Amino acid sequence: MQSSASLTISDLWIERGERDLCRGLSFDVRPGEVLRILGGNGTGKSSLLKAIVDVITPIEGTIYYLGKNVTQCRDVLIESTLYIGHAVGVKRLLSVEENLRWYCPDVSSDELNSALEHLGLWPFRDTLVTSLSAGQTKRVALARLWLSEKTLWLLDEPFSSLDAKGCTILENRIQQHVSLGGLVVLTTHQDLRLVSARDVVLLS
Amino acid sequence: MTYSSFLQSEFLILWRRKQDVLNALLFFILVVALFPIGVDPSPAFLAPAAGGIIWCAAVLSILMAIEGAFKEDYLDGSLEQLVTSGLSLPLLMLLKVLALWGCVVVPLLLIMPLLSEMLFLPSTVFWVLILTLLLGSPSLFFIGLIGSALTVSLRQGSMLMMLLILPFYFPVIIFATSAVHAAQAGLSYSGSLAMLLAMSLLSLVVSPVMTAIAVKASVN
Repeated sequence: MQSSASLTISDLWIERGERDLCRGLSFDVRPGEVLRILGGNGTGKSSLLKAIVDVITPIEGTIYYLGKNVTQCRDVLIESTLYIGHAVGVKRLLSVEENLRWYCPDVSSDELNSALEHLGLWPFRDTLVTSLSAGQTKRVALARLWLSEKTLWLLDEPFSSLDAKGCTILENRIQQHVSLGGLVVLTTHQDLRLVSARDVVLLS
Repeated sequence: MTYSSFLQSEFLILWRRKQDVLNALLFFILVVALFPIGVDPSPAFLAPAAGGIIWCAAVLSILMAIEGAFKEDYLDGSLEQLVTSGLSLPLLMLLKVLALWGCVVVPLLLIMPLLSEMLFLPSTVFWVLILTLLLGSPSLFFIGLIGSALTVSLRQGSMLMMLLILPFYFPVIIFATSAVHAAQAGLSYSGSLAMLLAMSLLSLVVSPVMTAIAVKASVN
């Protein structure tokens, strides 16, 4: 894990369906820091995360990663980024284990099992995701945080549909990640109890 | 994610959704079976028309199979994950087409002897028909997936997708049926087969890139 890793967004401007979002937004994330993006519904929190991973093309703005301008060529950034969007990208017709093998094929069975055990998914590892609850599906997606070794985490509403215990597990994991020098950008409406985060507020 | 884990999961999902493939196959058989019942059951009508009937039915059932190729991926967010995986999106799209092609066309070919017998197709012409399907159907999938990716984010996208795609299928249908007709008349058909192969190769080059662009536009 690179400790010099840092992400800088400057003068970002996103447009969604004729509406201006995040106009003139600038912020940076330093290693070992959690950045919480706040803002009401429709202020562009999800769009901001999508713009960072190049799912959405911003109208203006520059993105620097590791001190390099990556606005045009996002490969370096994407390589070290783990993005979990609002639609979490868990396939309904695959089992829990197959889903994780699809995403992180290189992990050993031990790592996989311990991640599943951590999240209380061990009894369901051979169950198809289609028969899991919303919270359990979310946990399947979040299991990637234990299995991949990416530096920058972009998490869109990671706490939604998780129960109190799930939130604690996730916060602990985030704390562990930043204490090793990782970067976390997340959107949430919830107060973080275990993790200290810097806030960026998006205005409508 | 790696290319092999992607391909593996594609096959697994296609296997779990085998009902969809089976539906397309059943639809194919039903359309072919309607012609002897509805038009004329005599060999004098069926034998010359067999190539055309089978190809039209095959195109319709392939369209059915392709139409929803990205729907699930789009809704559950895995398309976004593919875009942000750091892997080459065109290459992933190529693998997706190949998996789908294998799962749809192989059953179609397996049922073909039965149907060609039903339509009184001479056995020498049967092999030409199989060849046209093998050489021509990849281009149907390659072109179809572009349309499927373009329209996946629209709510009523399937009709639009068929309208967009069908014109591009005409040359494939024309060359495929003309090859079968030529074989039936005892003429040389290699030119038509070469055209089919050329169209498949051309779409092999163009389609993955176009599909990747369409996927990126759809998740945007």
